[in-house]
Amino acid sequence: MRSKIFAGAGLLALLVAHDVSAQTELVINSFGGAYERKHRELVIDAFEKANNVKIIVTTVYSADMVAQLRAQKAAPRFDIVHLSGGLEATAAAEGLLSPIKPEQLANYADLYPFAVQNIAKGEGPAYSAAVVGMLYDANKAKPAPQSWLDITNPAYAGHLVLTDLSNNWGLLSFLMINKVAGGTLDNIAPGLDIVKKSLAGATILSKSPEIQQAFAQSDAWVAPYAQDYAFTLTQAGLPVKFLQPKEGAVFSPITVNLVAGRPNQALALKFIDFSLRAEASAGWAEAFRYAPVNRKAQLSAEAAAGVLSGEEATKNLVTFDPIKIGQMRGAWTEQWNRTIAK
Amino acid sequence: MKREAFLLLMPGVVVLGFVFALPVAQVLLLAFDEGPGQIGAANFSKLFVDSYYPLVAERTIRLASLITLVTALLGVPLAYVMYRAQGWIRSALIVLIVLPLMTSVVIRTFGWLVILGRGGLLARTLDMFGLAPRNFSLMHTETGIVLALAQVLLPFMTLTVLAAMSRIERNLEEAARTMGAGIFATLWHVVLPLARPGIVSGSLLVFALAVSSFVTPMLVGGVRLPVLAGAVYQQMTSTLDWPFAAAQATLLLALALLVILPYARLARARGG
Repeated sequence: MRSKIFAGAGLLALLVAHDVSAQTELVINSFGGAYERKHRELVIDAFEKANNVKIIVTTVYSADMVAQLRAQKAAPRFDIVHLSGGLEATAAAEGLLSPIKPEQLANYADLYPFAVQNIAKGEGPAYSAAVVGMLYDANKAKPAPQSWLDITNPAYAGHLVLTDLSNNWGLLSFLMINKVAGGTLDNIAPGLDIVKKSLAGATILSKSPEIQQAFAQSDAWVAPYAQDYAFTLTQAGLPVKFLQPKEGAVFSPITVNLVAGRPNQALALKFIDFSLRAEASAGWAEAFRYAPVNRKAQLSAEAAAGVLSGEEATKNLVTFDPIKIGQMRGAWTEQWNRTIAK
Repeated sequence: MKREAFLLLMPGVVVLGFVFALPVAQVLLLAFDEGPGQIGAANFSKLFVDSYYPLVAERTIRLASLITLVTALLGVPLAYVMYRAQGWIRSALIVLIVLPLMTSVVIRTFGWLVILGRGGLLARTLDMFGLAPRNFSLMHTETGIVLALAQVLLPFMTLTVLAAMSRIERNLEEAARTMGAGIFATLWHVVLPLARPGIVSGSLLVFALAVSSFVTPMLVGGVRLPVLAGAVYQQMTSTLDWPFAAAQATLLLALALLVILPYARLARARGG
């Protein structure tokens, strides 16, 4: 009889504990690899300790993340989603996110205007900003690339890495190549022609770790990609440098967003605020050379030299209309697949 | 007696209906969804607007057939060896075959990425014999896909054929040998025909698995060698055009049935 009481009490305790833990738990996504490790260090683990909560992190890239949110619209399973490449605009337009009001964020006053420009539209704030340009092996890529169109340079044939459109950095670098070649968001034929010309000497990859492996093991010399990975590769001992081609580079804020229809909105808002604080901003800049969003971020001398900081620097960068990207992405992917298929 | 059989079957049929028939029916219906409130075959005509999807479908079927052939060529002799082996050797071989099945297919595929890549085991071995340079790579090739997927699916063929062979009576082989048949003649005239049902089941299983596989082809073949299942995955997660993805899935199902049904019927007709 006693064992039955204990068993019953144990079961009850388990149920209650599960229920309680559901209150102090956040489900978020991150982007895997070195990025996710840094994310944990700068924001996730610190928040867990400071607030005694549990955060469940799943590695999901932005396009996949929006697909999942769409599928889960009736009963979303994520509290906070991190999105890049303008996908926050698509998610907000579809009502998948809860709008955030400036007064709900303690760090709001310290943020640069570019980080919060679309909060009124229901998007979350940017917590770091990446720049998409050209990665190149400083020792082997001779001459060093100067222009986006240099991907067709026969000197790089066999050592060029292009990124698939399923990856946001691949999409943005392609749109830039298209722009430089004379195309627009409505006409990507010029961009596809350039890609077709360089296809014979190119490998097409889709995930960040694959790019890393390509430079480390597969003799890659040139790859249009984001600045953060150049720094990661340099840290890994490879002579890889980042440059902004002469026609400009693409600016891509990475946003943290509140998912609509979830119970832990107050805790989630706290997490979002925590992501925007000065230490986190500085940490991202030191680790990956992301542009800081918080005016009060204190950067070391080398980090300050390597990042684009402040309104002036970001003014010269190119952005593409995220709503248009969201609408046209499907059609672009179809055309891209046909161009790259063997 | 019939009523009892019916009642015993009912729970299984109901479960199968929910987890199999209902989702498949939903996908088929989704394929005809042309937008809010419209029904039509626009998604299917989109598939044939140019040669891209037909090429993807052709590649899927061709690679799946090749993989089935390779696993049969490797798996049937292996099953025979296992069938003839006794005691601990047989157990060891079974463990060797089954162990990979307990590892995730992604992990096994990653193993292939290392072997097939530049400077990998394959490249270095070929370089040792002077057959290929060090940076030779089967990554991002159809050959690589066939190799990796054949290895992943080999246990399914081997175990199915082994099960069929185990039901063959030993004395039949001995009888053939005493009548003067050599080893290969015995194999050809006695063992293989008796194991045919197993070989047929094994090939159907491997073909069905190979034709719907997308993880290994995506990882080994890359984005330039799409297969139908991979295209469906991309539509579902990246382009987000679910009705079109459903149309592709229906095409995959139709093509697979087109190959499997005649094959199964033919095999049964010849006494398999």
